[in-house]
Amino acid sequence: MSIISTKNLNKDYPSRNFAEKKITALSNFSFDVQDSEIFGLLGPNGAGKTTLIKIILGITFPTSGEVKVFDKDISDYTYKRKVGYLPENHKFPNYLTGEQTLHYFGKLSGLPANEVKKKTNEYLSLTGMEKWRKTKIKKYSKGMLQRLGLAQALLNNPEIIFLDEPTDGVDPIGRKEIRDLLKELKLRGRTIFLNSHLLSEVELVCDRIAILNKGSLVKSGRVDDITALSNNYIFHTSDIPDDFINTLLSEYKAVIKSKNEFQFNANTVTELNDFIDYLRNRKILIHGIVREKDTLENMFISLIGSQN
Amino acid sequence: MIFLTLVLSTFREAIAKKIFIGFFAISTLIILIFLFLINVDSIEGMVDLMESSGQEGVKNLVIGFQVAMIDISYLLIITFCFISVSSFIPSMLEKGNIDLLLSKPISRSNIILAKFIGGVLLIFVSLVYLIGFVWLILSSKSGFWHVPFLYSIFWLTLSFAVIYSLIILIGLFSQSTILSIIISLFLVFIVCPVLAAREMVIFSFIENASVRFVVNFLYYILPKTSDINKISSDIITGQPVVSYMPVYSSVLFMLVMLSVSIYIFRKKDY
Ligand SMILES: Nc1ncnc2c1ncn2[C@@H]1O[C@H](COP(=O)(O)OP(=O)(O)O)[C@@H](O)[C@H]1O
Ligand SMILES: [Mg+2]
Repeated sequence: MSIISTKNLNKDYPSRNFAEKKITALSNFSFDVQDSEIFGLLGPNGAGKTTLIKIILGITFPTSGEVKVFDKDISDYTYKRKVGYLPENHKFPNYLTGEQTLHYFGKLSGLPANEVKKKTNEYLSLTGMEKWRKTKIKKYSKGMLQRLGLAQALLNNPEIIFLDEPTDGVDPIGRKEIRDLLKELKLRGRTIFLNSHLLSEVELVCDRIAILNKGSLVKSGRVDDITALSNNYIFHTSDIPDDFINTLLSEYKAVIKSKNEFQFNANTVTELNDFIDYLRNRKILIHGIVREKDTLENMFISLIGSQN
Repeated sequence: MIFLTLVLSTFREAIAKKIFIGFFAISTLIILIFLFLINVDSIEGMVDLMESSGQEGVKNLVIGFQVAMIDISYLLIITFCFISVSSFIPSMLEKGNIDLLLSKPISRSNIILAKFIGGVLLIFVSLVYLIGFVWLILSSKSGFWHVPFLYSIFWLTLSFAVIYSLIILIGLFSQSTILSIIISLFLVFIVCPVLAAREMVIFSFIENASVRFVVNFLYYILPKTSDINKISSDIITGQPVVSYMPVYSSVLFMLVMLSVSIYIFRKKDY
């Protein structure tokens, strides 16, 4: 089942100064998120990721286009009972303690009072915030706030959880913990919508991704497919004579890693085999050839780079 | 339930702000002063005076205190409560806070209404405390249980609600606490009293008919908290109320402010 779907979504903000025309944050954006998947929305800062989440949650209104959540129009706000949200740079009332914060937002999400208490205990311990439950949140570190924010987003048993840059300002260990938590939630059948400009993170947890740049969808698909095989081949060979290394460098644009290892880029199979023949003619013994996988990062840089 | 949570959150927010604690402290001080005065007087002075002037004298004295209490409470509300509630809307609209609130299953109109009702209820409860205790002290000491004094809780709350609706609108427009405070104080301290006394203050030296028309027009459309106070004391002293027009028109002003606020809030991107 598709949990979220948008059709030809456009969003223009009025410009902040008079000289400019309006700012286009999203243009003709269509996509969908399926049940029980971790969906990652990737893009550089200012790409329109936060705007998209805000439109889906009715915080900002689209200029045109259609949004459906749980197959229903979002003008009926009751779908928000089944939604969790961790905003980018969230700001909780700082006079509350961690526990009071969860109680407050739990009730605002429509949970009955006894459920709120139960879930607060459950998620404080799941996020490791049990110790600080009675501490005022103005004393919290960024990482603690982020974990409390995550607990808040999970409290009402949402069917879909929107996380906007959840690991922003969190140290590496905290990041790992958050990633593990996300995987755990996926196992429990939750759908997660993750906004991030951190590629490695998305690569590690997401099933499917969409790449957004300047408000337009650049690419989308399963992470495995997008990070498909590249045209880079790593050759392991017998010792290469020095003069031949120069030829490989200058004529074949190879990247030499050692006397026995180099990387060669072949766009076609023919090109690859011609190169192998050439090596064999020079009496180089081939010990092995490995085709490299493209990292999301390489792909991202080449896609976004070509647009700018 | 969600609505109630939001209403009650305004209480917690007000208490977290020191300024509202100041209001409670001063209210308590006033109550204590009344207690003290009455007890001192019971030994000498005042009671003799009361007894010598008879039943009527006691009543007049009590009524005098009560009328004075209206002005004192009004001043307290203006200085403490307006300043305290002026930050409600701007802090709600802060980035990272409003996003989360709007993602909750509550309509935007109800968010504004909850903030409004929360603030009004807060001031109502505070006035019940202040006026209620002063009434109890005065009544139990004098034996004159003058109920109309308690009605002033309602009138003062109404005055507050009218100005608060404007504070909400300014907060939505400007997201500025300071601006909300300045405009509301300017209105209640300068505009309202001057317009209420326009016949004496302005018309005595301005003859021009069109200027007079504009001044009258402003008087009719703007809130009339000074006149509401007058009505409140007239009711206590037992004088006939000349006209309830200030009440109707102020309530109308409040409803317009709230409707415009809701309209704006429903349309806006956050
Ligand atoms: N409230 C707003 N008013 C005007 N422009 C905005 C507003 N919010 C976002 N933008 C602009 O819209 C674009 C997309 O922003 P955003 O959705 O926050 O991107 P991201 O989350 O991918 O960093 C940016 O150019 C940003 O400056
Ligand atoms: Mg963003």
